[in-house]
Amino acid sequence: MIKVRNMRYKYRNSSQYAVDGVDFNINEGEIFGFLGPSGAGKSTTQKVLIKLLSGFEGEIEHRGKPLASYDDSFYQDVGVSFEMPISFSKLTAIENLDFFKRLYKKTVDIEPLLKRVGLWDDRDKKAGEFSKGMKIRLNFVRALINDPKFLFLDEPTNGVDPANSRIMKDMIREFRQKGGTVFITSHIMGDIDELCDRVAFISQGKLREEGSPRDLKIKYGKRTVNVEYRENGDVHSQLFSMDEIKTEPFFNLLRNKEIETIHSGETTLEEIFIKVTGVKLRA
Amino acid sequence: MPNLLTLVKAEFFRLNKYNLFTANFVVLIMWVVLAYFLEAEMLLRFIPFIFFMDSIMMTILLVGATLFYEKKEHTINSIMVTPVTEHEFLTAKVLVNVVNSLITVAVISIAVYFIKEVTFNYLLLLPAIVLVTVVHSLIGIRLSYSAKDFTSHLINYMLYVFIFALPPIFALFGIISESVSRFFILLPPEASSVLINTAFTQIEAWRVVFSYIYLIALSAMLYMFSVKPKFNEYLMKETGV
Repeated sequence: MIKVRNMRYKYRNSSQYAVDGVDFNINEGEIFGFLGPSGAGKSTTQKVLIKLLSGFEGEIEHRGKPLASYDDSFYQDVGVSFEMPISFSKLTAIENLDFFKRLYKKTVDIEPLLKRVGLWDDRDKKAGEFSKGMKIRLNFVRALINDPKFLFLDEPTNGVDPANSRIMKDMIREFRQKGGTVFITSHIMGDIDELCDRVAFISQGKLREEGSPRDLKIKYGKRTVNVEYRENGDVHSQLFSMDEIKTEPFFNLLRNKEIETIHSGETTLEEIFIKVTGVKLRA
Repeated sequence: MPNLLTLVKAEFFRLNKYNLFTANFVVLIMWVVLAYFLEAEMLLRFIPFIFFMDSIMMTILLVGATLFYEKKEHTINSIMVTPVTEHEFLTAKVLVNVVNSLITVAVISIAVYFIKEVTFNYLLLLPAIVLVTVVHSLIGIRLSYSAKDFTSHLINYMLYVFIFALPPIFALFGIISESVSRFFILLPPEASSVLINTAFTQIEAWRVVFSYIYLIALSAMLYMFSVKPKFNEYLMKETGV
């Protein structure tokens, strides 16, 4: 759906490239996670892909056509949710959505969306009176208002309580199940792990790694199994390689000891993030 | 421009919600009350000043206040990821001010007709008001995008008044010599004043023609070479540059 080849972007007042020759594809119907520390170039990449920033170098194709060849009708099929919740503060939630709704040819019914994210009862409240979490949910609904085929979500669940975060993630998955494509940036690795079919790590403007979360975890993880067991009141552990778990010593341990935990050496996206980008995640 | 009408309607709706119309309405009422106390002859000399104030000063202030809220709330980002074009966005801002100025013209004209039976050449006035408001909406947008906040917009506004609107007034009182003041037609407020006054008094044809051509050309130049680039620069800043 989107092909990015050797894309570079330099801001006017900067001598360095914010994005320096990245290549990746986003396939139709997938959730693609774009990860990186602050200032790595992920927001710049997203802004280039949603045509907010022009003048990039390299090639970007959207549905087989150069991105630059699209006019503003490009946005008929695109939904964008920014990290910073944006709305007209003196307009109610419904007035905000009504304004945006009128700008599109094709739209959806607002009511089920607002009910789903728990804002229906607050629809006549001014957006300026909303909490940060409510504003983010309102932004998320706004991104879906034109029944888009492509969603760009920047830190969509950051600042949202766990229950509503779960609902939003379910909605993102349902969007994908209906054939929608999602480009998502987040520093909440749990969300990325849960949602994304593929992820790419960017650091200092360059793409460092790309793949499915599962493949990356296998690549960066250890092919080991650690078994913790109790013996004479003490906890002991024994490490086996994946090849050893079919051998007698492993089965003997399982049969004869009081097993407390068994852990594979699979790594987490967070560990991969730190390894690949060299930066620790925000608390 | 399929979204233009939607943007104009939404802009009026927001002006109302943000109470920016209230200030405009209060000023309008003030003009009507003042008209009530003036004699018909005096009123005819005073009305061009009202239209001058409204289509120049109020326009710059109103567009500044609107953009101040938009800048404060960063709403431009959300609008620019919809099918709205930059041209539609900027044209809507100008059109709202034009409609607003025409409402002022209509209210004042009706009021002075019923209060003092004063009439003037509406056919000459309407195109003049439209053009003067277009130019000053663009100037207002340009000043606003150069300002960090509403206070600095007001300072820009005052500077504009000092540099462009006061010299013709000084000339009127003989403070500035005629040899200098004949070039004042190059100042947008003076050219605007010429056009507005065509509805009330006889003005040399060349001055009217020149003012129309000059302000139309100025609008086009302002839009292409000043407002649009400044808007794009602002957009870049808003997107995190």
